[in-house]
Amino acid sequence: MRRVSSIILGIFAIVFFTALPNAQAPSPTAAAPPAVTFARDIQPILEKNCAACHSGDLKLAELDLSNREAAMRGGEHGAVIVAGNSEKSKLYRMVAGLDQPVMPMQGDALKPTEVAAIKAWIDQGATWDAPAVSFAKDIQPIMERSCWNCHGESMQLSKLDLRTREGALRGGAHGPALAPGKADESRLYRAVAHLDAIKMPMQGDKLKPEEIAAFKAWIDAGAPWDVVATPTAKPATSAIAALENMELTPEQRNYWAFKLPVQKTPPIASKAEFSHPIDRFLDAARAEKKLVAAPRADKRTLIRRAYIDLIGLPPSPADVEAFVADRSDDAWDKLITKLLASPQYGERWGRHWLDVARYADSNGFEQDYDRPNAWRYRDYVINAFNQDKPYNQFLKEQIAGDELDYVTHETLIATGFLRAGPRVLFREKDNPERRWDYVDDLIATLGRGVMGMTVNCARCHNHKFDPIAQKDYYSLAAAVNGWVETDWPLVASRTEAEAYLKQNKDVDEKIEALRDKISAIEKPYRDELRAAYIKKEYPENVQRAVFKPEAERTPGEQLLAAQVLSGGGGGTDAEVAKKMTAAELAQKKELTSQIAAIEKQRPKTPPMAEIITDGDWRFAPMGRGDETIGCPKCRLPPPDRPNGTYLQEGPGKYEPPPTNFLIRGDPESKGSLMKPGFLSVALHGEHPTEIPRPDGRTSGRRLALAEWLGSNDNPLTARVIVNRVWHHHFGRGIVATLDNFGKMGEQPTHPELLDYLAVEFMKRGWSMKQLHRFMMTSEAYQMASVFDQGANVKADPENRLLWRYRPQRLDAETIRDAMLSVAGNINLTMGGLAFFPNVPKEILVTEQTKGRWDNQPDGPATWRRSIYIYQRRSLPFPMFETFDHPDMNLTAGARNVSTVPTQALTLLNNPFVLREAELLAERITSETTDPVKQIDLGYQYALGRPATDLEKKLALEKVKAGTLVDFTHVLLNLSEFLYMR
Amino acid sequence: MKYFWSRRDFLWRAGGGLSGVALAHMLNSQGLLAAEIAGDACSAKPLGDNPYAVKPPHFKPRAKAVISLFMTGGPSAVDLFDFKEGLVKYAGQPIDDKIHGDVIVRQGYPGPLMPSPFEFKRYGQSGKLVSEVFPNLGQHVDDIAFIHSVFGRSNDHVQAHYEMQSGQIRVGFPSAGSWITYGLGTESTSLPAFVVIADGRGGPIGGPTNWSAGYMPAAFQGTLFRASGDPIVDLKPVAGMTPETQRSRLDLLSKLNELDMEKFPGATDLSARISSYELAYRMQGCAPKAIDIGSESEQTKKLYGLDEPITEPFGRQCLLARRLVEHGVRFVQLFQGGMGNQNTDTWDAHSNIRSNHGQHAKESDVPIAGLLTDLKARGLLDDTLVIWHGEFGRMPISQRGVGRDHNPGVMTVWMAGAGIKGGQSIGSSDEFGYKTGEQPISYHDLHATMLHLLGLDHTKLTYLYNGRNMRLTDVYGTLIPQIVNA
Repeated sequence: MRRVSSIILGIFAIVFFTALPNAQAPSPTAAAPPAVTFARDIQPILEKNCAACHSGDLKLAELDLSNREAAMRGGEHGAVIVAGNSEKSKLYRMVAGLDQPVMPMQGDALKPTEVAAIKAWIDQGATWDAPAVSFAKDIQPIMERSCWNCHGESMQLSKLDLRTREGALRGGAHGPALAPGKADESRLYRAVAHLDAIKMPMQGDKLKPEEIAAFKAWIDAGAPWDVVATPTAKPATSAIAALENMELTPEQRNYWAFKLPVQKTPPIASKAEFSHPIDRFLDAARAEKKLVAAPRADKRTLIRRAYIDLIGLPPSPADVEAFVADRSDDAWDKLITKLLASPQYGERWGRHWLDVARYADSNGFEQDYDRPNAWRYRDYVINAFNQDKPYNQFLKEQIAGDELDYVTHETLIATGFLRAGPRVLFREKDNPERRWDYVDDLIATLGRGVMGMTVNCARCHNHKFDPIAQKDYYSLAAAVNGWVETDWPLVASRTEAEAYLKQNKDVDEKIEALRDKISAIEKPYRDELRAAYIKKEYPENVQRAVFKPEAERTPGEQLLAAQVLSGGGGGTDAEVAKKMTAAELAQKKELTSQIAAIEKQRPKTPPMAEIITDGDWRFAPMGRGDETIGCPKCRLPPPDRPNGTYLQEGPGKYEPPPTNFLIRGDPESKGSLMKPGFLSVALHGEHPTEIPRPDGRTSGRRLALAEWLGSNDNPLTARVIVNRVWHHHFGRGIVATLDNFGKMGEQPTHPELLDYLAVEFMKRGWSMKQLHRFMMTSEAYQMASVFDQGANVKADPENRLLWRYRPQRLDAETIRDAMLSVAGNINLTMGGLAFFPNVPKEILVTEQTKGRWDNQPDGPATWRRSIYIYQRRSLPFPMFETFDHPDMNLTAGARNVSTVPTQALTLLNNPFVLREAELLAERITSETTDPVKQIDLGYQYALGRPATDLEKKLALEKVKAGTLVDFTHVLLNLSEFLYMR
Repeated sequence: MKYFWSRRDFLWRAGGGLSGVALAHMLNSQGLLAAEIAGDACSAKPLGDNPYAVKPPHFKPRAKAVISLFMTGGPSAVDLFDFKEGLVKYAGQPIDDKIHGDVIVRQGYPGPLMPSPFEFKRYGQSGKLVSEVFPNLGQHVDDIAFIHSVFGRSNDHVQAHYEMQSGQIRVGFPSAGSWITYGLGTESTSLPAFVVIADGRGGPIGGPTNWSAGYMPAAFQGTLFRASGDPIVDLKPVAGMTPETQRSRLDLLSKLNELDMEKFPGATDLSARISSYELAYRMQGCAPKAIDIGSESEQTKKLYGLDEPITEPFGRQCLLARRLVEHGVRFVQLFQGGMGNQNTDTWDAHSNIRSNHGQHAKESDVPIAGLLTDLKARGLLDDTLVIWHGEFGRMPISQRGVGRDHNPGVMTVWMAGAGIKGGQSIGSSDEFGYKTGEQPISYHDLHATMLHLLGLDHTKLTYLYNGRNMRLTDVYGTLIPQIVNA
């Protein structure tokens, strides 16, 4: 049946596809299409259905349907009208529902007669009767927006009042503004067209070409002023308001994730041993499906589970034996205490957080530059877990570590969280729209990572499934958008840090001045060499342009000469030196030695941290590729903020740069100016959106956001982290989609338990270590995973209700760490610079020229734990990628768990794995030479248990026929080794 | 979140859980080992369900495989396939007054309009004008549909690469090859479904993100093949290990894993792991065989230009592409142009269009022509889509006197094979080749069309991520209606 329908579908699709070009051929019986006129038939349709979004201020998708020229040009997705061919015209296809998105986006679909009219109109050539320019329609909206603020009711700058025709004729301090019939002689036109020194509007963007054209046409037509100016609302405002505002229904607010969690009394359990609140909730859920809980796992299984879960390393045989021998009641408790106190705990659980933080040691994209100090943030995370920093404090430091009441090096380093995402950092000044991608990176990370909400879906429109308004997105954007990224010296005081930065800058500036002097001396010789180069290298037409007197060059030749003369060929230093006079050479030498002397004044670089703080990103210092080559006027204009600076230099209170609502997410379609805010639907109680800072250096907006996120009034934060921790302990979250608690995520299997845990977590001061202990001391955590119970399997095959423990495949890092640990060569040195395990040169060939991967030979330096391996965005460590390490560019939910042949190839053939197998064999051999004992010892090391008789027999056969490595290599490949059970 | 080979494993459904011994029996009797004994291991059918299992298309496909020829650096349309009378007519004049809006060049001064330094010649029955740098490729114009109106969104190499690959200029999104692997799987069990062969000079620009699976499981990412030796890293045992030793270790592993599995009846991830070792073992033998060009005739090698140093590297890449497609690989991504020197290593002709494009065209003309000839002769062109493209085009005005700057405003892309109607030119650039003219076509449109040819509806091929059914074409994509034969 399925097969049949797919074939039918296929045939239909092919017919549809191939028939497209002829689809408009009329059937013989159809009447000839009616003649349509633009003004009567089309214009009203466009005005009613299209103009709100595709004209005036909005021009969504850069599409302007207000005049033929603009309409034929199309928008950012290309042309929308192909005159004479409606079937190829997106305008028709979208209103006819043939292409996505169907238009109009909002409101009713067009009537069939209207669709037919559009089709006929396009097929007849899409003619557009040129309408006369109307003051009310074409000029007044521009005046309201761009003129009347300064030349209107509230003020009349230069004594000019443009509210009436008389006012314009009378003019201001510079004379009449209007010469009806003669646009070229009208100051108003010349000012908006930027033809004179006075360019209008003074503030804001230059008028668009079509607007300038409208002014010209209107003045040339006599400047009829058919409406008296009234302070009416702007026509666009209501359209913008409709886009921006979204009502929340009580039902939407009532969704479980947006209500504050409530701690209900756990149900009475069916068995006495289920006294733990977790077990009581689980027991009740199991009882409903008549599921029987598995018994406790044996102690060897439990200790391996606890070790791998909490510290990411398997227990040594001695650890196992000691635990098995400890018959005291609190043996399990003591084990948890010991592991939580182990510094390796922070390395294991810090790594889970680094997935959320999309952490990497490089920037990504083409250059993929090294982030030389990113590791300090990684170490901060490890230490925070080891110190059991309360989770809300942890968040606060990462989001607003630069604006806390007590700022320390540690809290500054913590802000590395916000800048951990990918950045292009090349030609940023030419691509200012990228800032919005960086904002999105922050909002996606905070949204999915911290709030479990796909807030970033609301970048271009209201969220399709969850009650998250686009306005919420831009309120959050306003809350974070004051940030800039900078390198901060980790010295004793802020004063000292600023002094260092200034000194460094002074040295740069002095040296630059001296270099300019050298360049000036060399210039004539460079020009000479360049001329020779041009004569040799360039074709005749270029030479002709370059070598004729400037005044005689045609406009094209001027361009040619400018680009060639500003280009290369100016010779090497040695070639230039040959041409310089002795005096000039001496002068250059003197300047060079001055540079060297100044270079010596450069202060020694202290340890630096990659932090964020408040400032105006639009004044970012020149970065890579930002320098203007040749043509200053070709650059985008600088931002229009007087005396703006990158870092807040004070005095006075810091004002963040403006953040506007962006209609359809388009940086060119600005809506209202946004105030900082949070997720409306999740708001309970009053929370400030700015917490003014005494020093005024930062806005306090991020601090306010962090306070809200970490408050007990926040329904999401505690639930989300508690669920993440549950996922790692139990193999699946109570909400399986760790980063999506919305409607499109999975619903909780045990909602009341989730709430109980969240409240308990907050009650206990957001302590992670207490949360681990709370979960691990439940019977549920200690259940066996081996429990074959037919009825259970039938009723709950996926074990969603947790009737047995869920085995988990080790993640990439743990597989590698476990091998090192078992083979006995692990180097547990903590923190500091990342290391580079060997990556085959065939793979390095694909790396970028500017990033780094400095292969280190196999040895103690590369036997450190996996969390310290360099995380390069453009070159993920191959072994980790094979074992499902997540993409470093995005905040991650649960990691994928795949089983693919390349994993087997890695474990079979990777030189590192084979080396570990050899080391394990050596370790075993050094302890015993008895083959049977060797096999048993191998099991103890790798799996924490003795070998069974059958296993011994099978292994012994191989070892006798081959070597011990044959066996240890197999050990490291066993499913049992690769799983936590 | 995706437990491949676990959720939908046939063993589980068949018997509510088979023991490891029974599994081993099946492996032996029906699957890999049997095929191995029969001497045809490299073409055995895959066992059970896996991430690469063949999935039915949405409708009857025209193409089974895609070979993407990516000219990195940005080949210039007006110097290769899109002859512009306007450039001759207005040679040496500024462009500013002839176009709408400001000309923004991001580096250096904008130059005047510059005609191509190359002659154009008519080829084939269609009389298509092609640059003199492609004398061999010119012979195939009647099999090629040229699309002259493709536009992109980024002026930077890497973002433009990513847009070509994933439809997005941002990182973190699956590439087209990943989507196709996800959508169709592969018939080959001994080779990856999505293979990348990079230029020997390194690169491409943007690195492995070019074939990343983004938010999809890593299983769908492209696999980088070396053009000689062992194609995949870690494919072969380290030096010194004999096949017997390895086989012996695998046997022990298999027995011990089977014992272990008995404790977890129905744990399909464990059975999948056992069979993945057998698949891996088989790949070791089959993958090198698939790329071994030793069996190719001298005539075939010559056809691809393996006899000339300048054409040998890309010729080898093209020949491998054909072999991989023959072996059931779905998507072969070739890169022409590497890293390093802008002028000699990529198509990035900022300084000199004549020397740069002259060189790169020479490197690729014979190999691409050879590929088309060979595919056609073997009947493979009927269901193999060959697509030639860069990441953006180049400006019609000069840069540094005789070079050209990047231009995402318009570029030429061509397709051949898979029922593509050859000898036609689709869409147009404007008078100068500066922006699109008729029928502008986005990358989304190209991706939609590519998927369509493979039998996939781009609006229906979705992957749930971030609470949303994601698509290669996002919310866009229009099929190019006239590109195929009726």
